[in-house]
Amino acid sequence: MIAHETPPAIRIADLHHSYGAKPILKGLTLTVRHGEIYALLGGNGAGKSTTLNALLGFIAPASGTVRVCGTDPVAQPRQARAQMAYVPENVSLYDHLSARENIGYFLALAKADRGADAIDEALREVGLPADAWDKRLSGYSKGMRQKVAIALALARDVPVLLLDEPTSGLDPRAVLEFNRLLDTARARKVAVLMVTHDLVSAVDIADRIGFLADGRIEEEREALATGARFDLNALHDRYARAGVSA
Amino acid sequence: MSAATLIAREEWRLLLRNRAGLIATGLLVLLILVASFTSLERRSAIAADRDRYQTSVDRDFDAQPDRHPHRMVHYGQFVFRPIAPLAFFDAGVDGFTGNTILLEGHRQNSANFAEARQSSLLMRFGQLTPAFVLQTLAPLLLIFLGFASVARETERATLRLMLAQGIGGRSLLAGKLLGHGAIALAVGAPAFAVLIGFVITGSAAWPTIMLMIAGYAGWLLLWAFLSVVVSAFAGRPRDALAILIGLWLVMVVLLPRALPVMAAAQTPLATNIETEIALHRDLLEVGDSHDPDDPYFNDFREDVLARYGVETIEELPVQYAGLVSIEGERLTTQIYADAARRQAAREARQNGLVYRFALASPLIAIRQLSMALAGSDIAAHRDFLDQAEAFRYDFVQRLNRMQAVLIPGIEGDDPRIAAANWRTIPRFSYTRPNPYDRIGALVWPAGILLGWLIAILATAMIAARRIERSAR
Amino acid sequence: MNPLGAETRLFLRSGRNIAALLLLLVLSATAVWAGIAEVANQRAAIERVAQEQARDLAAVEDANAGPQGDAGYVAYYAFMLTQDPPPPLAFAAIGQRDLQPYLLRVRALGLEAQLYDSEAYNPELALPGVFDWAFVLIYLLPLVVIALGHDLVTGERETGRLRLLLSLPGDGLWRRRAVLRYAAVLAALVIPLLVGGAIMAAPAGGIAVLILTAVLYCAFWFGLTLLAGAAMRTSATAATAMVGCWIMLTLVLPTLGNAAIARAVPVAKGIDLTLAQREVVHRGWDIPKEQTFERFFVSHPEWRGREEFEGRFHWKWYYAMHQVGDEAVAEDAAEYRASLERREDLTRALGFVLPSVGSMNVVHRIADTDIEGQLAYRDSIAAFHARLRAFYYPYLFADRPFTRADFAMIPRYSVRTAQGSLGVWPLAILALAALLMIGLGARRVSRLGGEGSARTG
Repeated sequence: MIAHETPPAIRIADLHHSYGAKPILKGLTLTVRHGEIYALLGGNGAGKSTTLNALLGFIAPASGTVRVCGTDPVAQPRQARAQMAYVPENVSLYDHLSARENIGYFLALAKADRGADAIDEALREVGLPADAWDKRLSGYSKGMRQKVAIALALARDVPVLLLDEPTSGLDPRAVLEFNRLLDTARARKVAVLMVTHDLVSAVDIADRIGFLADGRIEEEREALATGARFDLNALHDRYARAGVSA
Repeated sequence: MSAATLIAREEWRLLLRNRAGLIATGLLVLLILVASFTSLERRSAIAADRDRYQTSVDRDFDAQPDRHPHRMVHYGQFVFRPIAPLAFFDAGVDGFTGNTILLEGHRQNSANFAEARQSSLLMRFGQLTPAFVLQTLAPLLLIFLGFASVARETERATLRLMLAQGIGGRSLLAGKLLGHGAIALAVGAPAFAVLIGFVITGSAAWPTIMLMIAGYAGWLLLWAFLSVVVSAFAGRPRDALAILIGLWLVMVVLLPRALPVMAAAQTPLATNIETEIALHRDLLEVGDSHDPDDPYFNDFREDVLARYGVETIEELPVQYAGLVSIEGERLTTQIYADAARRQAAREARQNGLVYRFALASPLIAIRQLSMALAGSDIAAHRDFLDQAEAFRYDFVQRLNRMQAVLIPGIEGDDPRIAAANWRTIPRFSYTRPNPYDRIGALVWPAGILLGWLIAILATAMIAARRIERSAR
Repeated sequence: MNPLGAETRLFLRSGRNIAALLLLLVLSATAVWAGIAEVANQRAAIERVAQEQARDLAAVEDANAGPQGDAGYVAYYAFMLTQDPPPPLAFAAIGQRDLQPYLLRVRALGLEAQLYDSEAYNPELALPGVFDWAFVLIYLLPLVVIALGHDLVTGERETGRLRLLLSLPGDGLWRRRAVLRYAAVLAALVIPLLVGGAIMAAPAGGIAVLILTAVLYCAFWFGLTLLAGAAMRTSATAATAMVGCWIMLTLVLPTLGNAAIARAVPVAKGIDLTLAQREVVHRGWDIPKEQTFERFFVSHPEWRGREEFEGRFHWKWYYAMHQVGDEAVAEDAAEYRASLERREDLTRALGFVLPSVGSMNVVHRIADTDIEGQLAYRDSIAAFHARLRAFYYPYLFADRPFTRADFAMIPRYSVRTAQGSLGVWPLAILALAALLMIGLGARRVSRLGGEGSARTG
């Protein structure tokens, strides 16, 4: 019908999946557009990780559709992965390499050699002090490590960014810096899916928030264009209920 | 209950819930028992064999017909080294030494048919005895049970929690040492029970067994304590594991194998052939009994004639050739003894070099202590060689005296003496060496084990202080 | 930067990796050096003894040479030296050469009373086993492989990198990492061997077999490590499991195997034949000489009719008696030898099950330093002994005088050519085990992106 239209960055439709006999996802449907930041909120066991796994092609879902920029991550994992950068929760890159070396290494693995300038650019973007770039990660704080991981994702220069609990363990200032980063990503038309249970940071930055409970999106809220983007109190109330039902 | 005992009890509970740990411990205990029983059986088979052979060769000796005594000197006597009762526990060098020698006149034969020379290279992997299991494998088990003891708490921050609750670093470490020390002794218990059972059946003496148990208890404690202390210094369990396995590798596998290379390079042994050739030369230098003008034997002849108060050899009441044999045997034996002493000294120098490294590799200490107590060390073997040599000299000279005294009374060109004489020749009776005669061989290894234990405990004190500092 | 280059850099930047590799390199080099030193020691001993022996023989010549010299005395006093110099690959695999004699003097008397004599060695030094390249290969290499490989996957999982790595579009990551480590370990192990081989001028074919064994054995351990590393949750459990495998394969099972083989195949015939031979030789003095000659002529009919002599003693009878002694125990001797070979066969069979034992068999067989090598040396001594007897018999039975000129004719032992052989089957089985492990390990690792592992993280 409208085949010439660019597909959404992330499209998940009626996704079902279970581990063994335990159903985790029960008809999850979700779309993230280019240039949109989508926060997926949910309690423990709601199916956040499974959603990420499905997007990364780590699991073959029982039924439903998963598309990343139009490609199926299970059928064409390489093409799909070339479209997205993933930042796992609490990842620590190689301690015995510097930030520059780490990013260079991972870019080489991803066959995405962008040159030293692109690496420096990404490191500058995430706000890592330049004097730390050539120091080994073993001396880094948690926040600095997280920045390197995000710089790696940025340096990949891909249309889709998957973030797993990106603000966990960051201090408020680092969260602020992180949000600024996502702003730049949005400006570059990158689609960001962040999975989190940190309501506050989601509220600060997300364009849309989806509540994941019992294997599907129970409710979606869109940010308002003006004023307070979300009604935090109402959201909190909603979140707590979702957590209970999960 | 004190904090230390509580912590120790926690370690035991953890072990009881650790399936892999229990399986490994069970396997080791099983291996100790299998080793004990197969080794016990093997030892009795060897003992029975050697006993049977000794009886049979003794009987053969008695059954020899009328002969010239010199023929019996070369018929000789085979002796078999009786295997020490505790050799089942620690076979020591028994498998590497020949266990039978043909003793004959003016020759020193080698001890032959060592098990190691008749086994494939497989034997070099080790012999399955309780000592092998306790010396080589048990430390690894103790490492696996202990490497995480303190590092686990550090990594999971339970250490800070404990310290916050007022448990001192000292009682923490004391508890861990107590817990793992007890585990170490429990691991050794089956072997100790086998040893005690051995005493009860009357096959060994209490003091020896108690020393043996004390030695191995020290050895096992050493590894349990070392695991705890390294665990306390290493931040993460895996670092502790790597360090401990590295230490085990160096102390138990590498040094004991590498040191002999050094020792052999530093002090080469003379080959038997060189010894023999040198001996012949030495003998010729003393004198040639066949040469009528030889000064040494001319003096000897004059001496003999004077002693018997006669003018010529023909007037002697004894056979002169017999006397020459006695004198010749005396001379060769002296020279052989010198050569043997020199060789033993060289071996001792080689071993001495290895022993000096016992400070770095306490395995050498426990190995020497264990072998010495079991009576399977090189000193016991050398003692057997010495006894055999003394016995050889005695019976050869008896036969030579028979020749000197009895032959002149016998007519004919083929003089033989009665077979009944052979039964008057004594048979080899082996006196088991008393390990306490060489007390030094027991003291230094015990001292080194004790020193290691003290050093580890002292390091534990430092670790305790470090832990307490980390809490502040 | 290409992925392999990046991987190499990552690998070499890790202090632990470098330390493990250097350690292996140093151990391998030290072992090769120790092996060369031992070979030099043995060569020096042979040299020394050969000189002493030449002097000794000259003294025998001076004492017994005369226009009417009696071959009987010469044969009695002239010990002849046999030697088994270290084969070209002995520096890498000393095997049993520290225990088994490589020098033995024989004379024309009964062989069986001379053949099993022992050379001097210090049993306490022999007890822990030799330190040579084969030891580094069989015992230490697996530990280095474990150190470098056990956390290949678990280490990534524990630091949270596993999912990141799996989310990247490139492929072949684990293969690159495993191959890189494998190549590095192999290089550290083999380079000293190559240098040692060059110094010792060892044949390239033999060195190639040693390297091939290392390639396969190392592959086996890498496969196993990969398997455990991918199957286990944490590095600690993977390391524990691997060290457990190592203990079983290099310490416990070979030891159990040795105990079982020793039990199953007794070797008491060696003592039996020694005792029996003594009885026969000494009884010879007490039985009519015709009986001895009769038995001697069964195997030496060419001397029939030359047995007569005057007086009570003649050397021809003496040597015939010794030969009869040997022949009387020939069956026992064959059985004894068969029992040693049986032990060797069973060890070979065990090598089909245990790669550690299999590798040990292959390297020592090609180096010719195992029991088989020792038996071949004994065979060559026996053949020489037969030549020696055959040389003296004409003098003894035909009453030919033994003059100074005849001394030069006494046969000399010629060194046997090393008979190291390629164990094709053991190598094939080893290759099979290596392939199996690599296959299983690779399969386990390739499934990492799949359902099971995705849940972690």
